[in-house]
Amino acid sequence: MTRLNVVMLIMLLASSIYLVRVSYDARRLFAELDKAQSEERLLDIEFERLKTEKQSQATPSRVEKTAREKLAMRTANPAITQYVTYAKAAASTPTGGTR
Amino acid sequence: MNWLEGMAKKSAKGGAVSVRSVNYSSSPLLASPTPAWRSKFLVAMVGLGFCALIGRAVYVQIIGSSFFLKQGEIRYGRTLEMPASRGRIIDRNGLILASSVRVPSLWAIPKDFDANKAERAKLAKLLGMSVKELEGRLDDNQNFVWLRRQVDEQVAKEVLALGLKGVHQVPEYKRRYPEGEAAAHVVGFTNLEDKGQEGVELAFQRDLAGRDGTRRVIKDRLGRVVEDIGDSVQPLDGRDIELSVDSKVQFFAYQRIRDAVAEHHAKAGSVVVLDAQTGEVLALSNYPSFTPGDRRNLTGQQLRNRALTDTFEPGSTMKPFIAAWAMETGRVTPNTVIQTAPGSINITGSTIRDAHPHGALTVAEVIQKSSNVGTVKMAMQMQPREIWELYTQVGFGQKPQIAFPGAVTGRLRPYKTWRPIEQATMSYGYGLSASLLQIAHAYTVFARDGELIPISLVKKTEPTNGIRVFSPKTAQSMREMLHMVTEAGGTAPRAQAMGYSVGGKSGTAYKQEGKGYADKKYRAWFVGMAPINKPRIIVAVMVDEPTNGKHFGGDVAAPVFSEVVQQTLRTLGVPPDLDVRPQIVSNEIPAEEESF
Repeated sequence: MTRLNVVMLIMLLASSIYLVRVSYDARRLFAELDKAQSEERLLDIEFERLKTEKQSQATPSRVEKTAREKLAMRTANPAITQYVTYAKAAASTPTGGTR
Repeated sequence: MNWLEGMAKKSAKGGAVSVRSVNYSSSPLLASPTPAWRSKFLVAMVGLGFCALIGRAVYVQIIGSSFFLKQGEIRYGRTLEMPASRGRIIDRNGLILASSVRVPSLWAIPKDFDANKAERAKLAKLLGMSVKELEGRLDDNQNFVWLRRQVDEQVAKEVLALGLKGVHQVPEYKRRYPEGEAAAHVVGFTNLEDKGQEGVELAFQRDLAGRDGTRRVIKDRLGRVVEDIGDSVQPLDGRDIELSVDSKVQFFAYQRIRDAVAEHHAKAGSVVVLDAQTGEVLALSNYPSFTPGDRRNLTGQQLRNRALTDTFEPGSTMKPFIAAWAMETGRVTPNTVIQTAPGSINITGSTIRDAHPHGALTVAEVIQKSSNVGTVKMAMQMQPREIWELYTQVGFGQKPQIAFPGAVTGRLRPYKTWRPIEQATMSYGYGLSASLLQIAHAYTVFARDGELIPISLVKKTEPTNGIRVFSPKTAQSMREMLHMVTEAGGTAPRAQAMGYSVGGKSGTAYKQEGKGYADKKYRAWFVGMAPINKPRIIVAVMVDEPTNGKHFGGDVAAPVFSEVVQQTLRTLGVPPDLDVRPQIVSNEIPAEEESF
């Protein structure tokens, strides 16, 4: 009887110590998870910022200005456009058009 | 001595038990009889002590547990705010027009603030204010002041690098507007608290704004989150708003009107581009405009969304409606001849004149040459109620059904108060007022074979059904007349676009100032559509106070119309319907072979 009690006491102690350890682990992992999640959010925000930034570098006004001033391009008009329809293109390959 | 003897007797008895040894351990002197209650008392005290501990434990664990749990939570539990991000505003092709980004804001605790003169000067310079301003700000409140909200990442870094005590930063959300001033009036802007103030930002505030979430957590000594407790409310991010606006068309329209305003030394200008098939607003540009990200020196002039908020007398652009109604009701046909000689007509004592006397004109020519007399002659055959109903049906004097703040109704007086001369002037667009958007909207009846379709700023997925005002036949013949306006002999040949057939109506008016008309202050506009046989877009252009010699709608607004039409149709991928003499260098010529 006594022996059983001793064994059970040891088991109880071991289990308690294990519980302490598990809850410690749980908290540590939770903290890590939380950190990762907030990092994810920050990265999301940063991604959004960069996307916006990228677009503000590619606005029609900037593209137009660069094309006109740096690359000396001009706006296309129907007079300098060769229109090719899909059906025609299938029948005979276009000789090439400049835009 | 009796008790001593007695003791001796007792020990002698004990001595008798252990014969071999002398009993040293017990001394009869020490063996005083302890009263039994003392040891019992001690045991009872210890027992009581344990009972008290158990009782306390029971109290802490069971009876008063809620109190202690609460206290523990107060010490370690924290409520975290989870800010929801504001929805984006995107154009019809998914390009961002407005988006929220995180930027730092700098704040300070003035009572902790400690900096010498040089540091203060440096800080003030980084914050973009004078030292005096900075100090005034620090004197405002002892516990908290904003130094500057929503600064650049770089500025915040430099400020924190100064290592000043009492200066902190906190992240905040700021709106970024990549398209800048080109789309400023449509998109609008938000204030520091992320609330919409103008434009779509205000109109769709409820959809764009998200709902912040909260969560209860336990934080440990190091400030790490170790456990979630209680219910957490997930943040609800704002919905993205997809506008019908096309950034490219919007920019191009803005650029054209900006150039036109500069060329004609005008005060302002607006362009509206509508998709004639769906009623979507493809572009809505105004000049002067503003940069939505930097609104420090903003004036009311720049802020006005003129295409929606400025009303003016639509003038000649109303003539097609009268002519179309006259045809619809069988009063005239396109070839009916109307005598407009001698170029003036007398209505109850007032004279209405044409700019140039024309003689006999067909109905088509009345529109082509924009004859007031011819239009008045058609209108005077109608009842005032008919004209009023027609104008109301196409949206004049009605609030535009568009989700946009500040869209005006314009003015159309009830027909019962019209005098005959008013009925006459109203037929060629005076005595009522409308915004440019309303005029563009009204022209959908001609573009859509007689149907008036609702307009929309938000991208649509389904085709729209309109309200029939004219028969398709009337609308088609009216389109032919509008096409004639842009041909030789019309008022706006400069509206012609390369490769695309166009049609429209120009308008010019003296500006109203106070009670009368201002001298030499004009407003010029043009409303039209293209391609004329199967209109895809409706473009309305208005230039306010052109002062550089020209002031007719056909000279000032029509060229802008032409360029916007050409560029927009090209962007939308509409093939040209007119033959253009190609200027393409032939590829057939054999090239000389290069030596390498």
